[in-house]
Amino acid sequence: MPSEEKLSSYLNKSKLISNSNYAKKIRIAILGGFTLNGLEETMRVKCDEKKIQCTTYVSGYNQYNQEIIDEKSQLYKFSPDITFLIIDCRNVFGELFLNPYSLSAEERKQFVQTKSDEIINLAKTLVKKSNSKLIISNFSIPSYSPIGINETREEFGLHDMVRSLNQNIKIGLRLEPEIFIYDLNSFVSKFGEHNVFNYKQFFYGDIRISLDYIPYLAQELMGYVTAVLGLIKKCIVLDLDNTLWGGIIGEDGFDGIKLGDDPIGRAYVEFQNNLLALNQRGVLLAINSKNNFDEAIQVIKEHPNMILKEDNFACVRINWNDKVANMKEISDELNIGLDSMVFVDDDPVNIEYVRSNLPEVASIQMPADNCHNNASNLKSMTAIFDMLKLTDEDKARNTMYLEQRKRAEFKTQVGNLENFLKQMNISVNIKNADDFTIPRISQLTLKTNQFNLTTRRYQEEDIRKFSQDSKKIVECAQIKDKFGDNGITAAYIVNKDNEQQWTIDTFLLSCRVIGRGVEDGILSHIIEKARKDGISQVRGEYIKTEKNQPAENLFVDFGFKKEGDFWIFDTNDQFKKPKHLVIS
Amino acid sequence: MTKTLFEIVSTVMNIPIEKISDISGPNSIPDWDSFNMFVLLDEIEKEFDVKFSLEETLEIKTVGDFRKKLEEGNK
Repeated sequence: MPSEEKLSSYLNKSKLISNSNYAKKIRIAILGGFTLNGLEETMRVKCDEKKIQCTTYVSGYNQYNQEIIDEKSQLYKFSPDITFLIIDCRNVFGELFLNPYSLSAEERKQFVQTKSDEIINLAKTLVKKSNSKLIISNFSIPSYSPIGINETREEFGLHDMVRSLNQNIKIGLRLEPEIFIYDLNSFVSKFGEHNVFNYKQFFYGDIRISLDYIPYLAQELMGYVTAVLGLIKKCIVLDLDNTLWGGIIGEDGFDGIKLGDDPIGRAYVEFQNNLLALNQRGVLLAINSKNNFDEAIQVIKEHPNMILKEDNFACVRINWNDKVANMKEISDELNIGLDSMVFVDDDPVNIEYVRSNLPEVASIQMPADNCHNNASNLKSMTAIFDMLKLTDEDKARNTMYLEQRKRAEFKTQVGNLENFLKQMNISVNIKNADDFTIPRISQLTLKTNQFNLTTRRYQEEDIRKFSQDSKKIVECAQIKDKFGDNGITAAYIVNKDNEQQWTIDTFLLSCRVIGRGVEDGILSHIIEKARKDGISQVRGEYIKTEKNQPAENLFVDFGFKKEGDFWIFDTNDQFKKPKHLVIS
Repeated sequence: MTKTLFEIVSTVMNIPIEKISDISGPNSIPDWDSFNMFVLLDEIEKEFDVKFSLEETLEIKTVGDFRKKLEEGNK
């Protein structure tokens, strides 16, 4: 686990934050049921380090109820993007926390039910009255019990009460799109109740998360901030020797490397299992290793203890080329920006080399002592892949990239692009924004950087509002071909300005379907729709960013004419609708 | 000990070390509120490897009080 700086160092740094004007901005509110001084300062420093401009609001001590219920409260005036509500059992149970057995089991059940409902209502009220996402902490199950060893025999005892409270709020809030439960109970388990809760600090200033652990808490909460802003890592690029297995294949040979069956080898098997789990939830894996290809690939294909198989890797670079050059190639092949990539290597020289040449890549050095560190090291790695919602597309992403590899092979076989596209049997299925597609449309606007005309980022609640607006069209497209289903990989938002004119607010394509004429197909669909509604012109903008060069020529190639900042298409004009795909 | 003590006070309270003396406390140091006082206590405990009781903590009002407590502990 990476160690944290002292709280005082964050407090000092927070005083030095200058009013920089970063592109990424976030407004954070912190509501606490006890003293959380220092958390706000630490989060501001951590945001500043990530070039996020952060404005904060901290509610008065233990004022969370009033702040949420009162529509005119400072909280709502502040208008946060994200609110952290951190309360504990003492807030909810009051004195009953210390003497729960003054009530009967039946009364205890009733009490927990009432309290759960109160918390669930409070959480729902906050998101209803604001545009904020809410992160609410769950409750740490105490190790203490007034009845000691009999706690585990008691019907609905103190520990059951807390467990049940956690379970109730999880069930009650699980499907709320703007509410997320932060697992504070796991946080306390990870660091230990005796460390996180310090009686002196508690009695002195009602501090219930001790000063040493505030920076760790801030670090975990940052995961939500980066996820809301769409700063997500998508791919782990791995070295092989002393990273996926112990030892060096070129020296130790197939039978000499350490992988399973011995203490050191077990650590690597565990690490591979962790990576496999990440892969299954949609994080791509790639290899960047200096080795003889044949020797190394033999291990991947044939070693009995290899957990990751060849098909788990979306891209493989095993050669003697420069690691930075390999990184760039992997980024190109996968169509993933370097800033969405994580590089893992055991060699500090490689890490430094990649770090200095490609600072946008998150480079992580494998700890020298893998036995102790690799699983927990990876835990901190999983946090940087956290997004607020795992969609079905995420879970199926690996299969999609495999299909992509097969498409590329097929393309080289067929040779010419036109023939290739004809034989691909591409179908574009246009879908309305509904409960199933809204999370994905929002995710696409937050994540798509390359084929994105305007790069406007929209949260789920924005998309939901747009979809109910009769002056807007919000749609997306599911794209299939002979190799498989690419999922929902295109989306667009059109504003119906007036009787004559529509404006394309957003138009984007996930990188894995670029270059197949899908964009022209969807654009023709929009023009045809406009024609049917008697609209005479459709216009759009291309807002240039560092990354959206792939979308630059969409309008000109299709036949739009530039007028000022806009590209205009007269719906009476002819256009070439791509013939190789079916739009439905 | 004085040097280290003053250095910690200077960092935590965000004040130049020259402005610190034994009588420094909430009246002379603007950042010395109850929370920063507690951060200071925490850092001093760690640096000098001591633990003050809750009672002792409440008796401390100035930098000089910290020094006295630390000297008592060294006896």
